[in-house]
Amino acid sequence: MINLLSYTCIGIGLFFWFWGTWPLVGHRSVLFKLHSLSVADTLGSIAIILGLLLKIPREWPLLVLAILSLAIWNTMLGYVLAYCSSSGGSHD
Amino acid sequence: MNLILIALLLALLIPIYEAWQDDDIWQKMLAFASIATKTSILTLVISVLRDDWMIGVVGVIILSVGNAGLMLLAHLLRRMNYIGNEGTYD
Amino acid sequence: MTENYVYVIIALLPLTASMLVFQTNPYHALVIRGILGAVSALVYAVLGAADVALTEALVGTLLSVALYVVAVRSSLVMRLGVHQDSTAGAEDVCFKEFKDELRAILGKRHLRLELVPYPDAQALHQALMTKEVHATCMGRPKHDKHSSGVGVAEKQPYQIAIRVKHLHDILQSELFSPATSLTYADVSEAIKTDLGTQDLGRAHL
Repeated sequence: MINLLSYTCIGIGLFFWFWGTWPLVGHRSVLFKLHSLSVADTLGSIAIILGLLLKIPREWPLLVLAILSLAIWNTMLGYVLAYCSSSGGSHD
Repeated sequence: MNLILIALLLALLIPIYEAWQDDDIWQKMLAFASIATKTSILTLVISVLRDDWMIGVVGVIILSVGNAGLMLLAHLLRRMNYIGNEGTYD
Repeated sequence: MTENYVYVIIALLPLTASMLVFQTNPYHALVIRGILGAVSALVYAVLGAADVALTEALVGTLLSVALYVVAVRSSLVMRLGVHQDSTAGAEDVCFKEFKDELRAILGKRHLRLELVPYPDAQALHQALMTKEVHATCMGRPKHDKHSSGVGVAEKQPYQIAIRVKHLHDILQSELFSPATSLTYADVSEAIKTDLGTQDLGRAHL
């Protein structure tokens, strides 16, 4: 039962990864790609780590730390990249 | 589990291809951010697969510190673009 | 170590390394160096070298890329000394055209153009001699000490003196702006007699 749940979590995370990374190939603006990438990467990664956590609950401090740093850093990185790329582009 | 790992690797190949074919530096930075996250998640998955604490610790440290370096690089590149386009001396 | 996925992961390393080698733009190459660092940290971790992976992520990706950005930014630049009032003068349009053309030529070689304002022609000449700038753009031909002909200066309001031979050759062959004339200023002799060996440590382009 728990095994099935963990595989479901990892599957959802994988789906998020592909869904968020696929727009990167097209010719859209940086901000559009950044939006889909940061949302899908963060949520997908958190889902994958949750699946791993269900598989091996013994390593919970490590995986919880990974989830926390992922949630904090990736949102911050999204803001920083958006700020840098837009203020750099406005001087073109 | 091996199948999941291969799928994760396929997802990793997309931003690598993107970084190879795009000429805009910010698109490359996006691809870099994506790759940095994906490689550390892959490290975590492999650590769980092999039941190896040591690799897991490395993955978490890369995940939390690598992003800081990425932000530093973004700010440096932004300053460079700013000076290059304005042509002023500071 | 007989798992199949290990080979796939290791194959990523030469892939990104060849991407890095075939990249010509230095800034793009630095971003790809970061990608290579992330991938190689993954490979080292998979092969069981946790300490090497950690070192690669912290030093190779974080520290060295940041230092290289600073180094590339401060070395791949052409510093052009100009008059303080030449950018705000009446020939503003003409000067802007010239600036854009120069920037386009330098941009093909991934160089940046940096304008350094100086108050008068004397300070401009001094800056060229002490290697503070790579080239000077003189707005008034009558102040010019390197002028080859006075008649030419009438229809060419800008006189550019470049002290870097390679840069001079590039601009000589590619700069077609009618408002400018190029000269090569050899400062190596002058620097010996004027200032001794004080400036030997200054970076050449």
